[in-house]
Amino acid sequence: MVIVSGEEAAFAARHGDGGEDVGHLVEQHLTWETSNLSSIRRTVTAARENARSIREVISLEVWEAINELYLWLGSDDAHDAYITTRYAFYKRIRSGVRLVAGLLRSTMLHEAPLNFIWLGMLLERGGQTARVLDVHHHVLTERERTHEVAEAALWLAVLRACSGMEPFLKRRHGAITGDAVTAFLLFDVAFPQSVIYCVREARRRFAVIRPPGEPDLPGFATMTRLSMLDGWITSSAPTRAAANVHAYCTHVVQELQAICAGLGAELFGYAPVVVAESPQ
Amino acid sequence: MSSLFANYQPATGTYDELFDAASAPRANVRAVLDALGASAPADFARSQALAEMAMLTQGITFSVYADSRGTEKVFPFDLVPRIVAAADWAHLERGLAQRVAAIGHFLDDVYSAQRCFQDGVIPAELVLGAKQYLPMLRGIAPPGGVRVHIAGIDLIRDSDGTFRVLEDNVRTPSGVSYVVENRLATKRIFPRLFERAAIHRVDHYPAQLAETLRAAAPQGGDAATVVVLTPGPFNSAYFEHSFLARQMGVELVEASDLFVERDRVFLRTTLGPRPVDVIYRRTDEAFLDPEVFRPDSMLGVPGLMRAWRAGHVTLANAPGNGVADDKAVYPFIPDLIRYYLGEDALLAQVPTYVCLREADRAYVVDHLHELVVKAVDESGGYGMLMGPQATREERDEFRHRILADPRKYIAQPRVELSTCPTWCAETQRMEPRRVDLRPYILTTRAGSWVLPGGLTRVALVPGSYVVNSSQGGGSKDTWVQKERA
Repeated sequence: MVIVSGEEAAFAARHGDGGEDVGHLVEQHLTWETSNLSSIRRTVTAARENARSIREVISLEVWEAINELYLWLGSDDAHDAYITTRYAFYKRIRSGVRLVAGLLRSTMLHEAPLNFIWLGMLLERGGQTARVLDVHHHVLTERERTHEVAEAALWLAVLRACSGMEPFLKRRHGAITGDAVTAFLLFDVAFPQSVIYCVREARRRFAVIRPPGEPDLPGFATMTRLSMLDGWITSSAPTRAAANVHAYCTHVVQELQAICAGLGAELFGYAPVVVAESPQ
Repeated sequence: MSSLFANYQPATGTYDELFDAASAPRANVRAVLDALGASAPADFARSQALAEMAMLTQGITFSVYADSRGTEKVFPFDLVPRIVAAADWAHLERGLAQRVAAIGHFLDDVYSAQRCFQDGVIPAELVLGAKQYLPMLRGIAPPGGVRVHIAGIDLIRDSDGTFRVLEDNVRTPSGVSYVVENRLATKRIFPRLFERAAIHRVDHYPAQLAETLRAAAPQGGDAATVVVLTPGPFNSAYFEHSFLARQMGVELVEASDLFVERDRVFLRTTLGPRPVDVIYRRTDEAFLDPEVFRPDSMLGVPGLMRAWRAGHVTLANAPGNGVADDKAVYPFIPDLIRYYLGEDALLAQVPTYVCLREADRAYVVDHLHELVVKAVDESGGYGMLMGPQATREERDEFRHRILADPRKYIAQPRVELSTCPTWCAETQRMEPRRVDLRPYILTTRAGSWVLPGGLTRVALVPGSYVVNSSQGGGSKDTWVQKERA
């Protein structure tokens, strides 16, 4: 989890290998650590600040849901829940995030601002699925093979991390293998967390924001790059991806990072700092 | 009297908005206080907490620049309304419209023929020496002909109940978002009270503002593109900028979203440039256009003033209005009303000593212990000396400042601001706290419209006269009663 979130070096610098307490420290680091840009505390604070700065764009309902999640996370109630009922603590955060996603869809005009929000979510989601798959695929295929039931449980954990367990079981009727999970997370066009779905849908949303055939409108270079990534994924044979999952996922993650930077530079006049990272 | 107000005691020597000197409710508010006062203190405390929680979850906040620790604070809100009688309001409405009309004429004159100097109505050196006078704007007629589209005139009420103008704000008066949000909170918490009380609504302000801005477009018409220009989320009034844009259904933009080409202003969009007709600007003019004002400004739009000068875009309010906000100009407003409108001023003012005048200055430096001294170009309670409460050292420091730069200061006797019952969480009862009132006036070529309400600011600290939000003040809902049929 620390590697997926790109926090390996920071975590090691702060906690060493963590010793016996590593589980607790990882949770602490990913939940509360304010120096960790991707901790829950930091991302909810950033989401709330971003929402505040586009308050006139989002709906009142969306703003209140984000603000309430932010306020709750800073409250004594949240800290108590973290200590006493951790499952309920994380469940509330997940519910809060899904509430926001639902409210976005149901309370905003389905026009450019919402398309921008979805575009951002899809690019981030596609990258995250690729990261999760890359790290877990590496760990699960390099380790000593165990009983197939134990193997299946580990792959199911990967699917759960991508909210994909039940959709996968429906799709594969219960047959769980590493190759099947990999193909599902990369290429299932009907699964909204898969890489192909995210990239394809991101391209569609971006095309609504700025028509692809207009080279003079801002964002043309980014549009071209996103289209190329979409084409590359669509034309990839699952067997080719399965042959080198790490290289495949690395390409996806790096391209998505470049597309995000391009969006910042072309449409918002700035480029976010891209930290070179290898997902593994 | 009911339990909530049973032991309420107005402060001696002040006018209380809701109670007379004998602690009896004023006739026009008796029914409302009977209903409101029927709550037990514990119930009212719960309602107050509910209102505060609503403000927090809705993110109704402001930023305090002087507070280095954090940027956002919830504006404290007191649930007990300030109530203005219909007859009082009718008088204020006429007086405010008159005052804004005169200020508009004055600004037109200052930036054109400057007749008021030649006719001896106001000293030229006083106006031309104002920091906010912008000589480069002389000779430019604003597109649409109106300079003060939105005004906020601060009023106080003295010990005999007379409303007096305290200061004029015709640049970028803020606070109206709290007027609308305060009303919403009060209505949600006391829905039945509103059913019975005949109170003017305030929630149509954004619609009126949108209409005012569209009417100001150089080409006019409903198709005009209006935007709200904000310095950004770190500005103290960002919540309000966002609120108004949202409520008017127009774009909230920062300077980097706009550009000027061939003296026309455009908004950058993903579908290409879109022409802009009216900019409700909530930025200081120093940061409007680096070609004309501060060249180091990151907030400005290069060429904006060229577009304004060419008559292609309306700026609301017009640049240069700050000269009328100058506190040294304020004492001359009754004379300006008489000069431009041929009428006596309907609204009283606070007697003011202009330190630029030798006799006034001599009096001020000898009587600092009984005067309130204000820097002419500051607001928000900054640059101010409350003489009666100040230490000897503070008074000495201001004496030096006044003598070193007399143009910069005016002084006024301390007015015993009126009070209004206010919930005190510490004592769990109603206590008198001092209040002021900022009504909002919208102006088109056709005339002025006054929002029937306004921002009542309240000094929450016992005995304090400072109502500014940046210095511990809060706000109340302002109820303007309707005429009885």
